[in-house]
Amino acid sequence: MARLILHRIAATIPVLLLVTAGVFTLIHLTPGDPIDAMMAESVDDSVKQRLRQDLGLDRPLYLQYASWMGRLLQGDLGRSIRNQEPVIENVARRIKPSLQLAGLAMAISLLVATPIGILSAARRNSAVDRLGTSFALFGICMPNFLIALLLIFVFGVTLRWLPISGYVDPWEEPWDGVRSLALPAITLGLALAAVITRTLRSSMLEALSEDYVRTARAKGLSDGAVVRRHALRNALIPVVTVLGLQLGTLVGGAVITEYVFALPGVGRLVVDAVFARDYPLVQGVVLLIAAGFIVSNLAVDLLYGWIDPRIRHR
Amino acid sequence: MAGSTPGSGIASVSAPTLAGAAAARPLRERRWRTLRRAARARLAPFGAAVMLLAIAVALLAPVLSPHDPLKQNLNRALARPDWTHPMGTDNVGRDVLSRVIWGTRVSLVAGFGSVAIAVLSGGLLGLLAGYAGGRVDGLVMRVMDAVLSFPPLVLALALGAVLGAGLTGVVIALGVVYTPTFARLMRGQVLAITAREYVDAARALGVPGWRIAWSHVLPNATAPIVVQASLSVAFAILAEASLSFLGLGVQPPAASWGSMINAGRGYLQQAPWIVFGPGATLFVTVVGLNFVGDAIRDALDPRLRV
Repeated sequence: MARLILHRIAATIPVLLLVTAGVFTLIHLTPGDPIDAMMAESVDDSVKQRLRQDLGLDRPLYLQYASWMGRLLQGDLGRSIRNQEPVIENVARRIKPSLQLAGLAMAISLLVATPIGILSAARRNSAVDRLGTSFALFGICMPNFLIALLLIFVFGVTLRWLPISGYVDPWEEPWDGVRSLALPAITLGLALAAVITRTLRSSMLEALSEDYVRTARAKGLSDGAVVRRHALRNALIPVVTVLGLQLGTLVGGAVITEYVFALPGVGRLVVDAVFARDYPLVQGVVLLIAAGFIVSNLAVDLLYGWIDPRIRHR
Repeated sequence: MAGSTPGSGIASVSAPTLAGAAAARPLRERRWRTLRRAARARLAPFGAAVMLLAIAVALLAPVLSPHDPLKQNLNRALARPDWTHPMGTDNVGRDVLSRVIWGTRVSLVAGFGSVAIAVLSGGLLGLLAGYAGGRVDGLVMRVMDAVLSFPPLVLALALGAVLGAGLTGVVIALGVVYTPTFARLMRGQVLAITAREYVDAARALGVPGWRIAWSHVLPNATAPIVVQASLSVAFAILAEASLSFLGLGVQPPAASWGSMINAGRGYLQQAPWIVFGPGATLFVTVVGLNFVGDAIRDALDPRLRV
């Protein structure tokens, strides 16, 4: 296991380096000068020149990258142009709602997808299966923002059961907090549930056709016991992989969901920074999201090795 | 996902220089057989009908559109759907149906355009990496890994921000986002195909490397690329709608489904049709394209059937 961990970490380092180079290049892809893009034409040239010097944009590109990396290694991701606060502080302030949203969405997706996926596979080609596969198709083809607006229309506007925007911290006010996160988490959770349902159904079908399942049935075990004790355990392995692969979709979905429900999370921060042309903030947040994404994928990889011993010894 | 098809049936007969003219007939027959197999998939006819309808609507938008999509009529603002305006009107009295029809163009251009960019760039990079091997392979694939390290929508958003709002920026951004998938797929195919005996035979005959890649490797690697491309178009359309919803796509007053839905969300209580007209169209189009993609996948490689 230690070898697997070291191997995976070593493979991550060059990718992380390339990601930093990519994010650094991003700001220089702006047509013209980033300062011109960020500031109005009417702003005095001397002000623009001073800002260029402050940001080091008047130096050769490789020097800019070297000093940017130097600062990065000290934990300095730059400062937002809008509020002059360090990027890391901007993100720290917004990370809590995003993590709560992602955690709740993942819990909802597993709660919804597990019974549907299992039932679909166990009752293949039945009405239950058709319902399950239709649900999966619906979730995969429906964009997050449309699910969000449907939920707002039904539960917010028509029934008035749940708030349609704003955020209350569930640690401070549990009831109002969960209510404020309910619709965003269902939005994000349903899309994820669709993918998990599909994967679980197909991996369950595969597991149910294995010899050991036939043997278990021949021994006289009930259908429920065969599914629970034999098929499900093996069918869950691909689900972990898919959960890892879906992290990117989850982050992307969070950007949209936070935007629609006006949640003050990291996703909303990216959108606001893009529209304010706050390039240092865009650069810093995108880098942090990518790094978080790489580390999460690494964790999923290691988890996979822990669940399935065959991976460890390969 | 579609990468595990080293040299499918089509592939093994489509190397023109080796198989010669005699192979042309079986190749045509096999293509027809594949097409017939795809058409037999349960929901494929519905998917194909939706796709053809969307293409026809996009091409004939000026003829089919009952009203000018940009013309405002404040006296008819937020009008309910009726015979004059089958999908109602928006907050400034523009006909929602006409805007949905014109929005089809934007969605299809974004969907097919970005996937075409990804197929071309990813295909070439994968071919280069797989065929050259060694350091070139390592470098290309690490760069692709780095691109894959970004959550797709966040990368598209960041690229869209630097390329500027508008359809071109979105198409390029999505093209970049989807490139690594095709590069990986193509590389896998190339590695499998270059290990085949007919490539060894071509090498032994002294055929130049570029010609082997062009005449033998590339035609044999197309099946999984076609499968992936057909499945990617639907997701690219969804991604374009998401970016337009956030305000990065086609700029107002031009119509796109995502931006129409975003503009309508403020009127969800008074005029839900502004959101649900383009929303339903987007959903049906994506479902249809998914059915087509699934049918092509099942026909070309039944092992990948979910």
